[in-house]
Amino acid sequence: MAGTSALPPPPPPQWVLELTAPTAPSKAKAGSVPDPPGFTPTTAIQSRQSKNTKGTAIAPRKQPSPEEMDTLKIKKAWELALAPAKQLPMNAIGMYMTGNSLQIFSIMMVFMLFKGPITAVLNIQGTFQRLETESNRAQMLGVKAAFVGCNMLALALGIWKVNGMGLLPTTRSDWLAWETARDPLERAYYVPSY
Amino acid sequence: MLLPLLSAATLLLTPSLAVFQDEAFHIDYHFALLGAPKESTTFFHQPNPASKASLIYTLSEEGALGAVNPRDGSLVWRQLLQGQHQSNASFLRAGEGQDLVVSGSLNQVAAWSAEDGRLAWRTATDGVLRDVEILELSDGKEMVGAKDAVALSGSHGAQSSVVRLDGATGAVKWTYEFDGSDEAYQVSASSTHIYAILLHKTLLGYLRIRVVSLDPVTGKKIDEYMLSSENELATADTIVSVGANSASPIIAWTDAAHSTLKVNVVGSKAISSFTIDQHAGETVARVQVHAPYHINSLSHFLVHYETATSHWADVFHVDVNNGKVTKAYSLPKLAGKGAFSTSTSDANVYFTRITRDELSTVSSASHGILGRWPVTSFGVVSGIGEVIEPVHAVSEVSVKGDAVSAIRTVVLLSTGDWILLRGGTATWNRPEILASTVAATFAMPAEVEAFAERLQAEASSNPVSAYVQRLTRHIAELKDLPALLVSFPQRVVNGFLGTSEDDLASDNFGFHQIITCATRNGRMLALDAGNPNRILWNRQVADLKKEQAWNPRLASSKGGEVTINSQAGTGFRYNISNGEQLVSILPVDVEGDAKAAREVRFTMTDSALDATVDSKPAWHFSPASGQTIHSLVPRPVNDPVASIGKVLGDRRVLYKYLDPNLALLVTKSSLTLGPSNTATFYVLNTVSGAILHASTHNDIDLTSPIATLISENWLAYSFTSAASATAPKGQQLVIGELFESLVPNDRGPLTGNQNYSSTISTPEPYTLTHTYQIPEAISKLAVTRTKQGITSRQLLALLPDSGAIVGIPYNALNPRRPVGRDATKDEQAEGLLRYNPVLEFDPKWLLSHQREVLGLEEVVTSPALIESTSLVFAWGLDVFGTKISPSFSFDILGRDFNKFQMLGTVAALGVLTFVVAPLVTRKQVDQRWKFL
Repeated sequence: MAGTSALPPPPPPQWVLELTAPTAPSKAKAGSVPDPPGFTPTTAIQSRQSKNTKGTAIAPRKQPSPEEMDTLKIKKAWELALAPAKQLPMNAIGMYMTGNSLQIFSIMMVFMLFKGPITAVLNIQGTFQRLETESNRAQMLGVKAAFVGCNMLALALGIWKVNGMGLLPTTRSDWLAWETARDPLERAYYVPSY
Repeated sequence: MLLPLLSAATLLLTPSLAVFQDEAFHIDYHFALLGAPKESTTFFHQPNPASKASLIYTLSEEGALGAVNPRDGSLVWRQLLQGQHQSNASFLRAGEGQDLVVSGSLNQVAAWSAEDGRLAWRTATDGVLRDVEILELSDGKEMVGAKDAVALSGSHGAQSSVVRLDGATGAVKWTYEFDGSDEAYQVSASSTHIYAILLHKTLLGYLRIRVVSLDPVTGKKIDEYMLSSENELATADTIVSVGANSASPIIAWTDAAHSTLKVNVVGSKAISSFTIDQHAGETVARVQVHAPYHINSLSHFLVHYETATSHWADVFHVDVNNGKVTKAYSLPKLAGKGAFSTSTSDANVYFTRITRDELSTVSSASHGILGRWPVTSFGVVSGIGEVIEPVHAVSEVSVKGDAVSAIRTVVLLSTGDWILLRGGTATWNRPEILASTVAATFAMPAEVEAFAERLQAEASSNPVSAYVQRLTRHIAELKDLPALLVSFPQRVVNGFLGTSEDDLASDNFGFHQIITCATRNGRMLALDAGNPNRILWNRQVADLKKEQAWNPRLASSKGGEVTINSQAGTGFRYNISNGEQLVSILPVDVEGDAKAAREVRFTMTDSALDATVDSKPAWHFSPASGQTIHSLVPRPVNDPVASIGKVLGDRRVLYKYLDPNLALLVTKSSLTLGPSNTATFYVLNTVSGAILHASTHNDIDLTSPIATLISENWLAYSFTSAASATAPKGQQLVIGELFESLVPNDRGPLTGNQNYSSTISTPEPYTLTHTYQIPEAISKLAVTRTKQGITSRQLLALLPDSGAIVGIPYNALNPRRPVGRDATKDEQAEGLLRYNPVLEFDPKWLLSHQREVLGLEEVVTSPALIESTSLVFAWGLDVFGTKISPSFSFDILGRDFNKFQMLGTVAALGVLTFVVAPLVTRKQVDQRWKFL
């Protein structure tokens, strides 16, 4: 034991080194395969930029003003808010096509129909967070209301579908189990005569 | 290619309310019975003269004629003769070496093929039959073909006559009519003469025996004389025997006190008189004569004396030449009752004596015992402490040399079982007593009911206490664990092989209910519905005199006991597990629920109904003039209803008219009064006496049965309409359903009331009815009952003509089936089809499937512990029982569930997991080692 401990640890085998060291992309491979058309590697852009600074300088893109940004964000937000409404016709057709029978497929679809709007409404802050600024907060309220409204429409579609499937307790028969028979105050017994 | 696929798909879609093939013969049971055999009409006979194999033929007290295989007691064939349950005499004869048996009952003489029971011929006589004999002529002239039969008939006041019927065709060869109005008694044939015995009533009221001898060939009178029986014969009951068809037929009678026995050899006027020994002061209660029945056997006979506690016998010899009767020897007196049977072998006559514990055979010539077999057990059950006695017996003896080499004896026992003794060992038994069942009921064993009550208590209490209760129950059950572990392998095997357990106590499904049957002769016996081949007990419960009716009614008011009410007395209670009589401590209470505040009792007296409240008259119903009450069916006391309304296809509700105090009453025109045959069906409120619904049908065949039923909120009845100028004879089944209102979602005038009093206001129901033309008459209707009434109903109908019991699904009869148009979508959703006035009984509805169940009269149903299943028990002549699931067995695995496949799949998956696990691990490791 003592003798062996004095020896320096043996160098790790080659395969361990290769395993731990990140494999360097083989130059040969990268060089031999041409880039796909339209792809500009970052190095190329940098070099081109550095070249271009000297010659015909392209003017850098102008940063939009905060007002413009707000307009853009509101526009984007409206798009987001109305997106559920755009899906409504397609959902409605889908619901209509699945029929009113209770099958696993239609049940799953109805479940998704309910889950989507509800989760969307719950995550409303997250959805519009990136687009919300101090200045457009007032406008955003209207956008959010529209978003909630659109989701409610989708939810209404779901309720319509569930009603069509007969799952809503809206009729007398659904409450029949809670109705009781009337008790008679008298009871008649047949007594056989011998 | 598509067509078979489509048809297969439709087969899968349509629900078939059927007896499944794998359940048939397993869940149902059937006793094909004959009824208690009569001694005079029971014999061994070779159906095929060429072979030695014989069958047992009998014509029973129930009027059933049949042949039984002596090997295993199975029924070979049977025929129901008319006149069931009637005290009319019936006769069964078979000529030696004949392949026909000749029966006689009422006024019909019929010959049946001995081998398969097919009718050979049938002839009606003018009067009621008094006797039928086979003519065994020894002159050999007319021995070709079937032997002729002689029938004696005569009604009260009418002339008696003897006819000779051709054995092959039944045609009348000659008729002899007697002068005077003497009552015909019996006919007897010797080899040369036919003797007709008539009873002549003297002025003093005594009977004298008149013997008329006839020529068998021409039917002319040869001789006639009176026997001077002096003042001994007061009634025909003390005529012991008129021996028939022997070399020298005899007439034997005693006086009313059974002190002397008089014997006359028919053909001579001499009367031999013998004093009957009065042993130790015991009075002789019965004297019987056993004589051989063959024309060329020795003319010896045995007289069997019976007292209340013992019996003995004397053997007499007749000297054929001079007609002298001498006593040959006596058989010793033994305690208890005994039975004697006579058998012949060539000319020799053997008498076999059967006592409680022994079988012995003697020759008629000497008293030396040829064979003796101890009988250790008759192999039947009886009541506690009851000694089983033989009632009568028939033997077949085969003799080699001086000893009996084999003996087969069929014995009717006092328990009503008909058994065969081979030597002294019981080989089979037929519970023929069940054929005389007059009342039956289901009862739960006490353990099962206690278990059901515990489960009920757990279900109705709050979750925490229910959990505590269940926990304590399971802890209490732990003490049974060792026994369970011991029996576990056996149970698993049983479960797999589908062999049912016999254990009554561990019946979690309620299939092992006990059926108690009361029979016409005052006995009561119990069967296990789950294992019907075993009779649990069989005891005498009523001491009835002959022909005394007792009208028993059985009811099981609480677990483990059955109450019997009859004319003999009310409120006798018995333990259903062992038949022990329980001491009646509690006063007899009417089966009822405690909620009801006021009790109205109604009873049916002579053609009127009377109801009383607190012993004051409440209402009275008497039928219209010219009408009599035919039957009354109250709604069952225990009739659970799951839902108070019917849900329509558009999910609205039609409310049922549910009143526990409903009864269906049928009145019909009394046959003597009314010219037109009408029947009226009333639905009565039995508290107020109000008529809620009535319908009258004209031109009804009142001789056919009228079956009625009321349950839940509907009623059903069936009748046969008589043929008229406009319509042929046909059977109809009417079904009516009562609703609170025909407007959906409307509860009628009592909306919102929690309770109501029928005496204050009786809202009338709205009734829908439909009539269906059915293919055959229904003699009895019943309905399936389940624990909570959730399962759909089936109407059970007994079909006497086809010997079947049919279960008609209620939906096929639904009175809401649309008339004259196809069902709308909503109605289709309810399962309603367009009304079709002709209702064919789907063969799949037959609960008795292939079985021929004859003579059924009554059917009862009982709920099992699981909701899907209802137990059915039907009786009459045969006994039939089954369990049915009208909505399929939704709460229990059926026989079609393949346990082997399931366990096999699980095992295969387990094995697969073990096999595949190392493979998968290796593959995952390999994945790790792979570069790019």
